[in-house]
Amino acid sequence: MKTPPEDHDLIRWLDGEMNPAERTRFAARMDADPALKAEAEAMQRISTDLRAHLPVEMPLPYADFFNSQIQVRIAQEEVLSHEPGHRTWLDWLRMPTLVAATAAVAIAGMIIWQQGAQGGSVVLSTYAPDPAVQARSFHSEEAGATVLMLDGLEDMPADKKFVTFRIKHTENDHEAATTTLYGLHDEPLLVVAKDARNQPRLLAATPRG
Amino acid sequence: MPASTAPDPGEVPDTDLVKRCQAGDTRAFDVLVNRYRNRVYAMTYHMIQNETEAWDLAQEAFIKAWRAMPGFKLDSSFYTWLYRIAHNVTYDWLRKKKIQGDGEFDDSRTEHKVAAGAEAVPHGFLAPDTALKNAELGKRINDAISKLSPEHRQVILLREIEGLQYEEIAATVPCSLGTVMSRLFYARKKLQELLKDTYENAA
Amino acid sequence: MTHGLTIALVLTALGIAGAQQPASPAQAPAPQPLPVKKPATDGKVWGALVYATNDAASLTGSTETAPADFADMQSRLGKVFPYQRFEIIGQHLQDVFREYESWVVPTKDLFLKVDSKGPANGGGMNLHLQFWRDQQVLVKTDTVLKADSPLFIGGPKWRQGRLVFVLILQKGR
Repeated sequence: MKTPPEDHDLIRWLDGEMNPAERTRFAARMDADPALKAEAEAMQRISTDLRAHLPVEMPLPYADFFNSQIQVRIAQEEVLSHEPGHRTWLDWLRMPTLVAATAAVAIAGMIIWQQGAQGGSVVLSTYAPDPAVQARSFHSEEAGATVLMLDGLEDMPADKKFVTFRIKHTENDHEAATTTLYGLHDEPLLVVAKDARNQPRLLAATPRG
Repeated sequence: MPASTAPDPGEVPDTDLVKRCQAGDTRAFDVLVNRYRNRVYAMTYHMIQNETEAWDLAQEAFIKAWRAMPGFKLDSSFYTWLYRIAHNVTYDWLRKKKIQGDGEFDDSRTEHKVAAGAEAVPHGFLAPDTALKNAELGKRINDAISKLSPEHRQVILLREIEGLQYEEIAATVPCSLGTVMSRLFYARKKLQELLKDTYENAA
Repeated sequence: MTHGLTIALVLTALGIAGAQQPASPAQAPAPQPLPVKKPATDGKVWGALVYATNDAASLTGSTETAPADFADMQSRLGKVFPYQRFEIIGQHLQDVFREYESWVVPTKDLFLKVDSKGPANGGGMNLHLQFWRDQQVLVKTDTVLKADSPLFIGGPKWRQGRLVFVLILQKGR
């Protein structure tokens, strides 16, 4: 059944799709027809509530795992898509990345197999945003530990004084998207919050009043 | 146009990042993922109302965007282009589910009944004397959205959440302007029926 | 709109005076707080920032001691890192939440964000880890952490040695 044109008018008015002349005419119709006016107001309320309760953005759970998985899959696809005789100019452009990706995936595969075979913890994948930093992992049978070595990091200043804590428990505040770390006497020590770029900021907590 | 998605001043513009992606820079793509993952996730979640699946579909959307990057001519904003990919991925998934007989949605065959003013009986709502809190209104709204068919859910979300004009909705779906208007009208009437008790209780 | 509200809440949490909250677009009552329930956890991890050095004079004098199940810390770390002295600067025993991020903060300067992806086949826990220095992430990693198999993260050089972050999954519950 086709929607009658009057119903189209109603939603066109609601969604601001009418020109000024049409708006004026429709407003006059509503003034003359209380049922139409009531229907328009009810629809407006639905729209308002939908926008209030269906946010444009929602915090993605496991956001960093999400990103790292994408990077892994992209690297895997780069390797799989490398077929002789089907190269485009873009493949040639990407060749260094392709070679690096192939090597990275192959080496990672070997390491994972080794670590897993020895029954220890396993580093499945790593990603260092700074291109100067190299991350490599291996399992040390002697130490009974798995190692993630980061080379190329900037040194910590020698006069650095480390601030340490005795943390007893933590609490997440989901509305405010913060985590508060409490000390041995339940005093708040630190608040971890994220800034607009999703970077964590560790702030001294204000003592409870 | 979708609501403003301009990066903060001082941030690398999307077009620069896209060009770097097209040259194979996966780190540039990581920045774009960071920038838009929450929006894409919201969109997939609203469409399918399931966290786990929405997460997977959002990821699928980004992977498809990476694959399609060489063909992106920068003739629209990156987000508009990404949004269309995410929307298609989600809608295809929903339709596949419907074809497989998941039975969650009301069939569009009922459309004419609603237009004639027949009452749709909502299921599982609270007893009339239970007070409603704002958080529960949100839940009821999400429940109501999930009862719309994919076609109706699609247009209402494109209009109310992404803020697209009718012509943009018609281009995204794709369908005629008349179909956009009919579906919007039906979807709003249906939501009105589904939320009738909710609004009466809150009054 | 929602993004703006989120920022406003963070600003308020950061104690920044005068943070303006945007007007709510709907004519709805203020949201009621939902009842608090303890979040589910997948286990506990012990994290420590360790200073590895051969130069006793550069030690900080920290009195922190290793827990009983890592009493052999000196010898184990010594098999990986070419140093003779290992001093715990700070330590933190933390629940790993199933559905939320956890923070392991032995010090404010080098800390770990931990996201659990649930138990791993064959024992241990699937984790996504981020190693942060101030506001810069040094490395992100997906790791299966098993009890009895610590993770040693070789960090930046400091003074006459190196900083190492140790992460251990506690056994059982």
